[in-house]
Amino acid sequence: MATYDVTSQPSSPHQRNWAVTILGWVCAAFGLVIFAGGAWLITLGGSWYYGLAGLGLIGTGVLLNYQKLAAVWLYLLVWIGTLGWSWWEVGADWWAEAPRIVAPTLILVLILMCIPALARRR
Amino acid sequence: MHRILSAFAVSLLVAPTVAAAQQSVDPDPGAPLEMQPAASATAETGGAITAAQPRPQREVGTDWPYYGGDADATRYSPLDQITRDNVHELEEVFTYHTGDLPKGSAAGKYSPETTPLKIGDDLLMCSAMNILISVNAASGEENWRFDPGVPNEAIPYGASCRGVSIYTDPDAAENAPCATRVIEGTLDARLVAVDAATGRPCEGFGENGSVDLWHDIGDRVPGWYAVTAPPAIVRGVLVTGAQVKDGQAEDAPSGVVRGYDVITGDLLWAWDLAAPEQNRNGPPEGDVYTRGTPNMWTTATTDEKLGYVYLPLGNSSVDYYGSNRSDAENEYATSLLALDATTGEEVWHFQTVRNDVWDYDLGSQATLIDYEGTPAILLPSKQGDIYILNRETGEPLTPVGEMTGLPKGDVEPDFISDTQPISAWHTLRKDPLQEKDMWGFTPIDQLFCRIMFRQANYDGFFTPPSSDKPWIQYPGYNGGSDWGSVAVDQERGIIIANYNDVPNYNRLVPRAEADERGLTPIDEKQGAQGPGSSAEGAGDPQTGSPYGIDVNAGWRSPLTGMPCTRPPYGGIRAIDLKTGETLWDRPLGTARRNGPFGIPSFLPLDIGTPNNGGSVVTAGGLVFIAAATDNLFRAIDIETGETLWSTVLPAGGQANPITYEMGGRQYVMVTAMGHHFMETPVGDDVIAWALPSK
Repeated sequence: MATYDVTSQPSSPHQRNWAVTILGWVCAAFGLVIFAGGAWLITLGGSWYYGLAGLGLIGTGVLLNYQKLAAVWLYLLVWIGTLGWSWWEVGADWWAEAPRIVAPTLILVLILMCIPALARRR
Repeated sequence: MHRILSAFAVSLLVAPTVAAAQQSVDPDPGAPLEMQPAASATAETGGAITAAQPRPQREVGTDWPYYGGDADATRYSPLDQITRDNVHELEEVFTYHTGDLPKGSAAGKYSPETTPLKIGDDLLMCSAMNILISVNAASGEENWRFDPGVPNEAIPYGASCRGVSIYTDPDAAENAPCATRVIEGTLDARLVAVDAATGRPCEGFGENGSVDLWHDIGDRVPGWYAVTAPPAIVRGVLVTGAQVKDGQAEDAPSGVVRGYDVITGDLLWAWDLAAPEQNRNGPPEGDVYTRGTPNMWTTATTDEKLGYVYLPLGNSSVDYYGSNRSDAENEYATSLLALDATTGEEVWHFQTVRNDVWDYDLGSQATLIDYEGTPAILLPSKQGDIYILNRETGEPLTPVGEMTGLPKGDVEPDFISDTQPISAWHTLRKDPLQEKDMWGFTPIDQLFCRIMFRQANYDGFFTPPSSDKPWIQYPGYNGGSDWGSVAVDQERGIIIANYNDVPNYNRLVPRAEADERGLTPIDEKQGAQGPGSSAEGAGDPQTGSPYGIDVNAGWRSPLTGMPCTRPPYGGIRAIDLKTGETLWDRPLGTARRNGPFGIPSFLPLDIGTPNNGGSVVTAGGLVFIAAATDNLFRAIDIETGETLWSTVLPAGGQANPITYEMGGRQYVMVTAMGHHFMETPVGDDVIAWALPSK
């Protein structure tokens, strides 16, 4: 067990990890904004990515709130989908890639840091 | 290939007038640095005749005698002391401070855009508020200054004085007062002439050295009618237009172009496009020049040999709505116009936009070149198109294409043209925008910009204005190529063009809504305008038309202030003068000063920023340019596009640089004075660099 991890506070297996919960709410909040904007964009005839990614982010947030390891798998799916979509849209134009992948990757890192806490709950 | 027939029709009518002036004016190459007496000067036959003869022109090299370097405005210097191999050794020699910084209500309105001339030992320049200044070109010590006393209220859109012009009277004794004079146009619409040696006003010019350009324009409304460009001088005739503040009202000052006797300041002719014959010697008593007509605010190009002046015309005063315009306005708006400078008669005109409702006024000074043996003129446009025309006839020498089936929109479908000319030879314009070109700092603001994209009307280039929804204009009014223009190295056969790659996000504002928002034209505003100055078109009334106009210049996200579209926002490229092919193309400007919420990122990466101001090219194989919003002044290898040297300026370098020689030493110079629209810091610095003296 990674005792150096910020999320691995001394806690019983069935206790709620607040860091994970807060990240869950953050994901859900961003997810709601992105889903709402994405749904609007779809009605305007635009890209479906944001609507889908928003749903994925909301799901990730909910799963995090329930302290489920499935959150990690769901978000990995969102993240890989994001990379694929981003490459399909702009390829190796790194100025254009940056806003598409930097923030989602930052969230990925935070979610990966939750693995020890989530794994303990199994 | 389609050619613009109107230009031909006119040129055919007036072509015979060309024959009058076939005398060669090629200066003696053995003595390129001295003014030579005219080969066949006919001084004894009187001033008017003398003035009508072509005279030798000063050469660029040791001097930088014209705004565009040489009389042809190539921005090329034969100096080659600074080379690709030693440019990294450049060091600052001096900084001269003009002392002209914004005071009081001028805060936030400075965009000096100043380029000095260098004649003999002197640098001659104007400051933002038109203070004329002479500075020693080797030491930076001030020789003299003359302040014409321009008030802050005269500032139109921005306080700019791009440069001055000089004229040496062939009939005057060498040391006579004003034998060589410095002339500027001012923000309060005067021509001011002073002695180049002393700075004292030329008493014989107008009234005590000043000619009032408001004469016969109409009610004097400070800030509506202003001159920001150096006047053109052809065969002793001084030619000027003026900036008419955009978007105010249909009943605006005239776009009349006028020719004055450079010695006396007397009006010789006027060219009023709606009444060229009737108003040639001024309008009838009690009348004014035709109001609201397309104007000429940028720098004209002189052709001493043919006796012509080439004037890049703007648009009618109301830029984004055209149904009320006259046929004459539609005929000439956004055209390059050739006038016989001795008579004020039109020779030809070449239109680059039909029924312009995008503020695509021609901002770049045209450049005289030799194109495959034909005396030609090269014209860059804000749309990014580069045309090369026959100087005598206006006939295109490079292919002109035609866009057809363009959308006409709902606002004025009968006025919008469904065809437009484009250059099939070279364009700086990029492909139309797509949703995926939206940018942002995070996926959230990128998503916001995508929603804006989908909410707007956009059918590519020349999407017509709309009011029910915003419309996207790409390229925006900042170009393509703007007043900085292009530089041409004819030895190497290379055109160097810097450009903007930025859309605008616009909406026509119905009159009732404009009234609710209190959009009123400049002549109805109470007292002085408030501090600061919004971007051109950001809430302009367009009084007289059914709509005001809202322009989001550069289409910035309301969330972050960042551009909604992906970088680069500006670039610089080299074009083969023979073929029109791109030799290299790269972003211009680093991200060091730019970031979200206005926070500098300090990233030394070439993101490509918006830029204003042109370049200088030298025989040493270098391109010198500031222009970008990163406040860097740089030297670029003309063969590869690689930056070989750069230095940080103390303020924005939105000005054209120069290069000159003093005491066997080559200097490069640019002014760092900032630009309110480009959001760079204000300064008053005139900076010279050279190689270390040995």
